Amino acid sequence: MNSKFVKILSILTATVVILAGCTREQSKDDSLKKIKEKGYFIVGLDDTFPPMGFRSEDNNEIVGFDIDLANEAAKRMGIKVQFKPVVWDGIIMSLDRGDVDLIWNGLTITEEREKQIGFSKPYLNNRQIVIVRFDSSVNKLSDLKGKIIGLQRGSSSEKALNSNESVSKSVKEIKKYENNNLALMDLTAKRVDAVVIDEIAGRWSMAMKPGSYKILDEDLGKELYGVGIRKTDLNLKEELDRVLDQIKNDSTGEEISKKWFGTNILLK
Amino acid sequence: MDTLVQYILDSALFILKGGILTLKLYFVTILFSIPLGILFALIKISKYRLLRNLTGFYTWVFRGTPLLLQLFFTYYGLAVVGITLQPFSAAAITFVVNYTAYLTEIYRAGIESIDKGQYEAARALNMNYVQTMRRIILPQAIRRTIPPTCNEAITLVKDTALVSVIGMSDLLISAKEIFARDFVITPFLIAAVIYLLMTTVIVYFFRKIENKYSIYE
Repeated sequence: MNSKFVKILSILTATVVILAGCTREQSKDDSLKKIKEKGYFIVGLDDTFPPMGFRSEDNNEIVGFDIDLANEAAKRMGIKVQFKPVVWDGIIMSLDRGDVDLIWNGLTITEEREKQIGFSKPYLNNRQIVIVRFDSSVNKLSDLKGKIIGLQRGSSSEKALNSNESVSKSVKEIKKYENNNLALMDLTAKRVDAVVIDEIAGRWSMAMKPGSYKILDEDLGKELYGVGIRKTDLNLKEELDRVLDQIKNDSTGEEISKKWFGTNILLK
Repeated sequence: MDTLVQYILDSALFILKGGILTLKLYFVTILFSIPLGILFALIKISKYRLLRNLTGFYTWVFRGTPLLLQLFFTYYGLAVVGITLQPFSAAAITFVVNYTAYLTEIYRAGIESIDKGQYEAARALNMNYVQTMRRIILPQAIRRTIPPTCNEAITLVKDTALVSVIGMSDLLISAKEIFARDFVITPFLIAAVIYLLMTTVIVYFFRKIENKYSIYE
């Protein structure tokens, strides 16, 4: 009786251990498997961020450089993409909560963000530039003293400005907007004197309104764009890096880059 | 423990800085929209058809569109046609115009709820229209409309959070900024407490007025 009990007990214990082992093995990383089973990954983005991701004028579809890149990557992974516009200052949380699987939207790789989320390999160079009105007397960073600066709330532009204390301490006020376009609108309306913005987005907006803005020669720092991934999704990151490398090195990546920027600026 | 207290104090101080803007906007709106609401209510029940229709159109538009949209329009829309308002002016104008529309309808209903007999009695005492309104009708109407006005006053506290869309840093957005920096929900709790304190004061204040005016019933 007693030995039987021990037997049952040991079998039970063994089962529990094995089962526990199994689940641990699975939960270690089934991110890629889950995505493949689902058949698509969800990309979170700010859909007011041309040329990376924005609504086209013709049919209001989300288009852009990052959109093309994400579609191409998904195609090579044999799945589809769903794009989900979210508020930028909450975008990291959307990723943590699982509302989106990737943040693919000109996301700058910063130290703070790396504490919260993982990143793919970088795929684009970016700078934080300062845009002023064409007729502005501001020509260098030190001219920003006593001026009002506009930027996107929660963006890497905000971080870049704050980390350059000689500039951020000398300005009169920093006004924060929900997106870059609203900040640029206020630049045109002369309610702010300068806008700190990603070079990629800034140059696009300037091309839309030729002759109204200029860029200061000095910038507020160089940075890299990467795709944001949950820290735990290691398999997904591996797979994504693999297809990104492919795209970077063959003609598709070049085509996409030429379509949006005129030249191939993808990082090798 | 000390660092936690320090953190809460620092956060509260930062959020309260945004709260100053909220308070300013609140008082400007209350100060202008209540008298304007009473004025427009009187116009809306007046015998001048054109004025009646105009105020009707005004309340229809401003009660029928989102406050957020009106804020966008006043700030960004008008700038396109060359009318460039500073953020605070744009916010104050929008809030006054919007809240006046609601209060107009509240006061109109209040005035119309007063019994016909009151007017007849006033006429019997040889009062003219202004005297009737000022001495008989309005005091009673205001007494009756205190609760809905209090409702609007409370809603206004929370509506002020909308000004973040025109680049202003109010109470809620200040809390949000700390949240984005530290990823803790403490700033939201602090903001909630501040909002609650503000509405408590408002409710208390309106209760007092209600007691004062209760002699008219």
